Amino acid sequence: MNRRIRILAVVLLGCFVLLVAQLANLQVRQASALQHSPYNHHVSTNTFAGDRGEILSADGYVLAKSVPSSNGYPYQRVYPQGSLFADITGYVDVVDANISTGLEAYYGNPFASSAHSQYLLVHQYPSHGLRGLLNQRSGTDSITITVSRKLQLVAKNALGSYDGALVAWDPRNGNILAMYSNPTYNPNKLASHDAKEVASYYKSLNPASGSSPLVNGVTGIVQFPGSTFKIVTSSAIFDHDPSLASKTWPVVPYIKLPNTTQLLHNYASELCGGTLAQAFAQSCDTSFGAIGLALGPSRLIRQANQYGFNEVPPIDLPSSEVAKSTIPPASKFSAADPFLAYTAIGQYDIVESPLFDAMIAGTVANGGKMMAPHLLSHVVNDQGQVVATYKPHVWKTPTSSSTAASVLQLMRGVTQGNGTAAGVFSNISVPVAAKTGTAQVGANGCSDNWLVATAPAGQGETPTVAVAGYVPYQPGLTCSDTGAAVAGPRVAQLLAAALSYQAGS
Amino acid sequence: MSAPAAILSGGRPRRRAELGLLFVGATAVLVATLLESLARTNALPSHIVEFIAGLVGISVIVQLVNRRLVPEADPILMPVALVLNGIGYVEIERIAPNEAGQQLAWTLLGLGVYTALLLIVRRSRDLERYRYLMLFAAFLLLISPLMPVIDRSPANQYGEKLWVAFHGIEFQPVEIAKLLVVLFFASYLIEKRELLTIPTRRVGNHLLPDLRAFGPIVIAAAVSMLVILAEHDIGFSLILFVVFLTMVWVTTGRWTYLLIGAILFALATFAASHLLSQVNERIAVWLDPWKYAQTGGYQPIQGEMAFGRGGVFGSGIGLGLGGAVDPSTGTTLIPVATSDYIFAVIGEELGFVGAAAVAISFLLLVVSGLRAALRARSPFATLAAIGLTATLGFQAFFIMAGVLRILPLTGVTMPFVSYGGSSLIANYALLALLMRISNEANQLPSSGATPAISRTSGAARIGATSRWRSASATASDGRQAKVQRPGGPEQTSSAR
Repeated sequence: MNRRIRILAVVLLGCFVLLVAQLANLQVRQASALQHSPYNHHVSTNTFAGDRGEILSADGYVLAKSVPSSNGYPYQRVYPQGSLFADITGYVDVVDANISTGLEAYYGNPFASSAHSQYLLVHQYPSHGLRGLLNQRSGTDSITITVSRKLQLVAKNALGSYDGALVAWDPRNGNILAMYSNPTYNPNKLASHDAKEVASYYKSLNPASGSSPLVNGVTGIVQFPGSTFKIVTSSAIFDHDPSLASKTWPVVPYIKLPNTTQLLHNYASELCGGTLAQAFAQSCDTSFGAIGLALGPSRLIRQANQYGFNEVPPIDLPSSEVAKSTIPPASKFSAADPFLAYTAIGQYDIVESPLFDAMIAGTVANGGKMMAPHLLSHVVNDQGQVVATYKPHVWKTPTSSSTAASVLQLMRGVTQGNGTAAGVFSNISVPVAAKTGTAQVGANGCSDNWLVATAPAGQGETPTVAVAGYVPYQPGLTCSDTGAAVAGPRVAQLLAAALSYQAGS
Repeated sequence: MSAPAAILSGGRPRRRAELGLLFVGATAVLVATLLESLARTNALPSHIVEFIAGLVGISVIVQLVNRRLVPEADPILMPVALVLNGIGYVEIERIAPNEAGQQLAWTLLGLGVYTALLLIVRRSRDLERYRYLMLFAAFLLLISPLMPVIDRSPANQYGEKLWVAFHGIEFQPVEIAKLLVVLFFASYLIEKRELLTIPTRRVGNHLLPDLRAFGPIVIAAAVSMLVILAEHDIGFSLILFVVFLTMVWVTTGRWTYLLIGAILFALATFAASHLLSQVNERIAVWLDPWKYAQTGGYQPIQGEMAFGRGGVFGSGIGLGLGGAVDPSTGTTLIPVATSDYIFAVIGEELGFVGAAAVAISFLLLVVSGLRAALRARSPFATLAAIGLTATLGFQAFFIMAGVLRILPLTGVTMPFVSYGGSSLIANYALLALLMRISNEANQLPSSGATPAISRTSGAARIGATSRWRSASATASDGRQAKVQRPGGPEQTSSAR
């Protein structure tokens, strides 16, 4: 009997060895595979649904915070401002797609290794000395951004119910002051812990479309910039062929283009021309078409690329949410290419995002230096100490300060006399430099309306704000509307508010 | 000498070892609850004083009871069981706070039953005497969930009919019944073991024992299993079957019985998988849970995921997803986390290291139980210890193997760890019997050399010397070979 008891002991021992072996198989050998298994749909609970730091507006409003939750996920992410900051903060979806977007992704990404991607996540704080060794501390940082709720509300109200985008930044240091676009969405509904609700709301946002509310209309959508591109064309004159600056352009309703029977008409076939200043102020397509042809492809395209076309602007948002503004390479144009005339006036095959248009205007305002645009102001740890502050830096130097001054002078003319934006900025006491854009797009040729403006732009003044506004043709607008009429008042409201915000009132 | 003085001065080596182990175990449970609370709330548990008092109280009482009633019994069994119980309690308290109070009450009741059994069953031989009564009681317990007069418990919702409810308190009678059945098997098999072992018939070239002796026991086993099958529970049928086969084989040493048992088991499984949808589904899900990921496979897959999340060192106690609910479906992420799948919760939070430690803890219980069987003073005690140990060991193995997908999931509780009153009471009762057998085994044959000990141990000693007379009287059919000399190191030579 004793022998059999020992055999039984061995059998039971074998059973438990089997258990430990399978434990080792699951918890050591396969652990990583199981952790990344699609069936382990709570991977997200470990990565995204933990405590996260707050995101605060420049004027101290909470834009995103985590509150303890008892429904299986330890924390619920809340966006107290609703859709107002959706483009900026993005959202954290822990139940459906397990993704985060916007600042949530840029400053709180568990899969990235850079220091900034950990700010919003729970992380270990460095500790010093014996005290630190015994008292390891971990927590989340909170980040304060450069955008204020005050200006964001102005932008939202200025756009009203229209689709479109408004962005304001400080060209001296790259601070984004406001960034709002319609249509938008409610990030709270995507951060919900109810997977069905999240999935159906997400689907209702038509996520596959390039114009989905989920897309940041300021950074992620590119369109024909129309005549606002004439800022780049004008820069090319002063940088590459200053003789063109002193020419006088014929006052005509249209010009003939080389190698084609196509005629290039002015807007509404108006008579337009004169000095460069007059042609710029009245946005003469005939004059700038001729300038484009005179510059030739290599100079015009080189100038555009110096401004940062065909590159992703270095803003602190996930690069998937920031679109490249593009222009074809010089090699695509022949020497006397009719399309070169269209390119010079911002039509043909050239697209810009509202952010990039604001960056171009801001570069002119900032003496030819293009600052890297950014949303982050500073980072505060859980003890209230500032642990990081964004350091402004130049992204590009597209042009010289003298060229910038010359182009700014041209832009000043747009808001004066018979300029296309004359009277638009009557609400602003300081001089404003601007450029309108009215791009005829689509089969019906209705206009997409642009306006970029910067102020204060008096002689000897350094502009502190640059604003870009984009309002596409849509029901409720007239087909033949202009940048000045549609985008103008909205840009003027935001510009005025930004100037007074900077003045501290 | 007064009893308290005896306890203080006694200090048998095994009890001193047990006291040390109880201290280590209580510390482990205390650390577990502290870490769990700190991890989740950043603060000490609100009831920390009561918790420590409870740990100290239970440890002291168990130690006093053992010193007095089973001074020479194994020192490992109770500390290990209490640690498992404590770790389970810490998890249950967090995952299902509304179950914690009951779990504590059941633990205390279990320890009460443990003490009572040690007081009532002073000699293992006492158990042999009432075997048919025990069989009858087991039968009543087994059929109780089927009887219309007893409340149908809402806990029977998963297709099993295992539970009875009495004034809202739910109970699984089968947990208690299995102990009674094991004791009956032990007693019956020992009495008939020669009939079962010694060939009296010739079939061709083979000599076979008289299978008639098997009649009653096969009937008892078959009835038990049929009843359990009628209650749609395969887990306990499987355990009883395996334990029964083990006991028959250990008694007779005939592999034929194992072979017959294996064939019967295969047939039964085949039939059950066709007759019982629950069995069929469990086997299908075991073979390929991914195919049924949204239905029956959800549980095993999520169990496996929990182990995966744990990795080598675990997420930390209190930091797993046990008890968390998927808000979109309303289902818990780790299914039945306080009962069937509590091992997965432990796997996630304590990692491979902790889960392996839990598995090894059960192995310690098994080894201690079998050591008691090896040393037991009577064949009945040996076989009873084997049956009880096998019951505990196989039940722990089946549930852990089920959760780990080594075997199909059999919905049995994880002894001492799972939430459940019947399970706790039955398993503490089981330990009481093992402790009793172990105590007898470890008492020196000349235990008269400890006359200083009070009446209790004196009685045990008298029992120890008188039981052989009594045993021989029982074996009145003249098979004197069964009777051993008192104090002989081996009592079972006659069976060989």
